[in-house]
Amino acid sequence: MSDAIRLEGISKQLGKREILRDVSFTVKQGDVFGYLGPNGAGKTTTIRILLGLLKLTSGKATILGEDVSRDEARRTVGFVLESDGLYDNKTAEENLWYFARIYGMAEPAESIDRILNLVELRDRAKDKVGTYSKGMRQRLALARAMTHNPELLVLDEPTAGVDPSGQIEVREVILNMAYKEGRTIFLSSHNLDEVQRICNRIALIDRGEIKLYGELEQLQREMSGNEVEVETTEAIAEPLFAELKSLSHLGLRERKDKVLTFVPQEGVRTPDIVSLLVGRGVAIEEVSKKEASLEEIYSAILKEVEPS
Amino acid sequence: MKGMLVVLQNDVRDILHSNGFLLVAVIMGIITVGTAVGLPIALNWWLAKGVAWEEAKPLLELFMGLAVNYVPLIVLFTCMATWATEPIAKEKGKGPIESLLATPLTARAVWIGKSLSIFLTAYIIGLIATLIVILAMNLASILPATGHFVLPLPEAFTSFLFLPSLMFALILSGVLFSLITNPSIGQTIIITVGVLLLQVVGQVGGRFLWLLPSWDYALYNLAGAALLGMIAFYLSRTLTKERIILSSKGRWA
Repeated sequence: MSDAIRLEGISKQLGKREILRDVSFTVKQGDVFGYLGPNGAGKTTTIRILLGLLKLTSGKATILGEDVSRDEARRTVGFVLESDGLYDNKTAEENLWYFARIYGMAEPAESIDRILNLVELRDRAKDKVGTYSKGMRQRLALARAMTHNPELLVLDEPTAGVDPSGQIEVREVILNMAYKEGRTIFLSSHNLDEVQRICNRIALIDRGEIKLYGELEQLQREMSGNEVEVETTEAIAEPLFAELKSLSHLGLRERKDKVLTFVPQEGVRTPDIVSLLVGRGVAIEEVSKKEASLEEIYSAILKEVEPS
Repeated sequence: MKGMLVVLQNDVRDILHSNGFLLVAVIMGIITVGTAVGLPIALNWWLAKGVAWEEAKPLLELFMGLAVNYVPLIVLFTCMATWATEPIAKEKGKGPIESLLATPLTARAVWIGKSLSIFLTAYIIGLIATLIVILAMNLASILPATGHFVLPLPEAFTSFLFLPSLMFALILSGVLFSLITNPSIGQTIIITVGVLLLQVVGQVGGRFLWLLPSWDYALYNLAGAALLGMIAFYLSRTLTKERIILSSKGRWA
């Protein structure tokens, strides 16, 4: 099975400005891939390259195994761009019909009906899109992206400018597409909470370069610094605390009331810490491995690359 | 080809549902009815003097030549000026053009589909208007007075084929520039060349009236269409999705 998206050292220069520099990553089929970065980092440019709207300056990019420069490569790709790109003077149904026919669907009526139900716009199907709210427009844009039953969905900030309840609605549609319908999703977003909830893999781009890329859970583990929190039933006595502190391989960092935080050295497993504490007569309430939130990872990476 | 037809069909539908279409239809209706009524009245007045057919024929052909050149020219020009750039400007400004280009459609399919939609709608309106004028002139005055139907073959070719081809080439150029640069540039090109054409036909009508029913004049139109068409297709080498996108973001590549 070919990768859904494969970028190999792509660069993009517009005039004298280098927008993307040696960007490489892979999105596997079935992934829900989060593409993060601050404004102007190069996210939309990457998406435009994937959708054949901009040409590469160098490197190689494929989408579902085909070179992105081939227009036919996008026959099984759906997308939502920064602006929803809907025709205000057409109804929701007419917008979907137009794009379904562009994708070569002979009889799209059934598919359109199903998709309008999925995004809960069936009741407003015959209304002009110019009368829609921002959230409804984004849901319709998602519907348009799905009408031709694509294998891959490329979504550029699908919840941008949408109010909180609209964001929840749009997010639900994306989750349906990803986990119920099994589509591969490439999601560019500013919303870290959204990405953390939806995505299994991420890439972080800043100033045209990829700064971080991989499985979200693994990155969270790596970035958390292997922190283990142990909550005891009672606060431990000072002598025991001093003893534990002296065992440097445990890496006891702090004590807050009944919670002990360890950053153990390599090779020391969580059960080793637990058995040592139990051996010292400590009653344990809860043990948890602390994982860095995406927000912490994002801030840490961007702080690293900030010019001094 | 199939994608181009989808764009064509969609854009024709949009034109027919636009307020601009209603306006053009009303204006063209007034011009056509005015011409179809006014010219036969003038002809009847002149033919009532009992002019011999041999004497009347060349003048009637010239008269017909003026009518069948001006009517489609005015119709096509008005339609082009109304539809060739403003809808594209809207699509570029509000984002649908980017969505359209992100599909498997080629930039060329979008260009030709949009140009054809404007041309075909304008052509059909022009054809109807011209036919009404030709029939009104012949049936209401020439045929009853002389027993002859006047429409020289070169005039028919010019009016129904060569002049519209010239206009189609102009639409192709205008739409091309609207896509790859600022749409106002496309509009400027269409209006400038269109006004020049109206001037040329006006000059020919005023000074070289004898040219109108000739094959020479028909072939000038054909040559103009071929030249402008070739220029448009040569320039279309610059038509890329990137240019369209960058120009819609205010960057003229």
